[in-house]
Amino acid sequence: MAFSGVGLGLRRPHIEQVAASDATPVPFWEIAPENVVGQGGARHRMILDILERDDVITHGLSMSMGGFDAWAPEVLDRLAAFLKATDTPWHSEHLCWSSFGGAHTHELLPMPFTREAVRHTVARVKALQARLPVPFLLENISYYAELGAPEMSERDFLLEVLEGADCGWLLDINNVYVNSVNHGFDPKAWLAGMPLHRVAQMHIAGHTWFEEEGLVIDTHGAPVLDPVVDLMAWVLPRIGRPVPVLLERDNEIPELEVLLAERQALQAAYDHALAGVTRA
Amino acid sequence: MPEGRTTPLTRLQRAVTDLVLEADASAFRQHPAAFALDRSLGPDDQLALAARRDRWLVYRDLVRTALAEPLSDTFPITQTLLEEAGTWTEAVDAFLASRTVSSPYYRDVAPAFVGWLADSRWGQERWPFLLQLAHYEALELDVLRHPDDPLPPGLLREPAADRVAVLDPAARNLAYSFAVQTATVEAPEPPPVCSWLLCHRDPEGTFRVLELTPHVSALLARSQEGQALGPTLSELGVAPEEAFTLLRDFRDRGAVIGFRPA
Repeated sequence: MAFSGVGLGLRRPHIEQVAASDATPVPFWEIAPENVVGQGGARHRMILDILERDDVITHGLSMSMGGFDAWAPEVLDRLAAFLKATDTPWHSEHLCWSSFGGAHTHELLPMPFTREAVRHTVARVKALQARLPVPFLLENISYYAELGAPEMSERDFLLEVLEGADCGWLLDINNVYVNSVNHGFDPKAWLAGMPLHRVAQMHIAGHTWFEEEGLVIDTHGAPVLDPVVDLMAWVLPRIGRPVPVLLERDNEIPELEVLLAERQALQAAYDHALAGVTRA
Repeated sequence: MPEGRTTPLTRLQRAVTDLVLEADASAFRQHPAAFALDRSLGPDDQLALAARRDRWLVYRDLVRTALAEPLSDTFPITQTLLEEAGTWTEAVDAFLASRTVSSPYYRDVAPAFVGWLADSRWGQERWPFLLQLAHYEALELDVLRHPDDPLPPGLLREPAADRVAVLDPAARNLAYSFAVQTATVEAPEPPPVCSWLLCHRDPEGTFRVLELTPHVSALLARSQEGQALGPTLSELGVAPEEAFTLLRDFRDRGAVIGFRPA
């Protein structure tokens, strides 16, 4: 099945409503395996029913791709089994690190933009890819500070990791925008030289401006803003394929109907952006 | 980490881990370059970390907020108790500094807090019930989300003297020395009254708590150890029919999944 259109993250407050509905209201759901595997109970069974009924893409949160902590075999086994069971077309993780010395921060911490970090991350991505039953994508993150003295730009770092690992790219368009504001660059120029042929999926989300810190933070806690929608519409024809876009909302989660309305508006922008491409 | 080897990358990650998890950030706040030097970062990395001090303090807030959130969600009574005493932040700081959150599953943060209380004995001279209260507060999610194991084969519907009762794998037969089930946000200190509780999921999947007598709790515990109901009831001096009626009720409530030969 070819995934396209604008999907939605399946979130806990909406599980019962989605499970009870007859018609699937989205082209696909995205779900984090970490929030499902190794659990049980009534709500868990509802989630499994939805995943059985609807199309699903998986997205990981905590494998600390740039970290050093070893992955527990049972964590990898559970993940691989879940990916098979959901029939996801691929699995993705963030280009970041989250744990060190066995201590997990559950935060997406930026990698240093260094050659050592490229080599290390490429090796970790290849190692994980070898354990997974589906293709693997890396997602570019929002970062608020460089870690250490950079030897290259964030863009070149991402480029070298994607090329070195030879993996797909989950292009988070909101993260590109957030970084462009926080670090002062033109997001279109940033995207123009990137390997868009590697993009298999996109993320789009809302962010929040924190006046005191003078910083935009990728909160996933607000509606998507127009400049981010415009950036999605700008890049889609340049990708040249109807790659699936996922609307993320993890904080201040509104009623499902509100998110579905936002999804519908994004779908219209998506269809409009790709109209010329699909006609060609 | 590479066995016995540090590199610029490992030193940077170690420094940031210290920054975000240690209770006191004043050393970094006041002298970020010295903080970096203490962690053996090279001169360029020291300068870079110092130049972005405020942004790294944002990361510290993000990490601590993310890790404290499941604690507030899971332990509202414990949090109220400690906030009233002005020590909740101190408890969270000590917990984070212990670095006991090691699981990649976010749901494991709250159980790690209970494990930390058990290991550290933090606050328990002043509040001897603290560990039991936190354990009880974490129980609901533990029971509700317990994996749906396949039922063991050969289960029988009726209790009998030569059988044992089989608890649902999600159910917990627990003894507390404080009446933790009576604690509330309004009255967070449980009285020192022994309590025997059977916590389970009902057939609709809702969390339920049954208060037991010590004899019934012992009957279930012996059953879990494989001792037949008849000899246990004789030992406890409980009439079989009375106990069997209760066990049937537990079965209908979903706490007991059936019976099997001892």
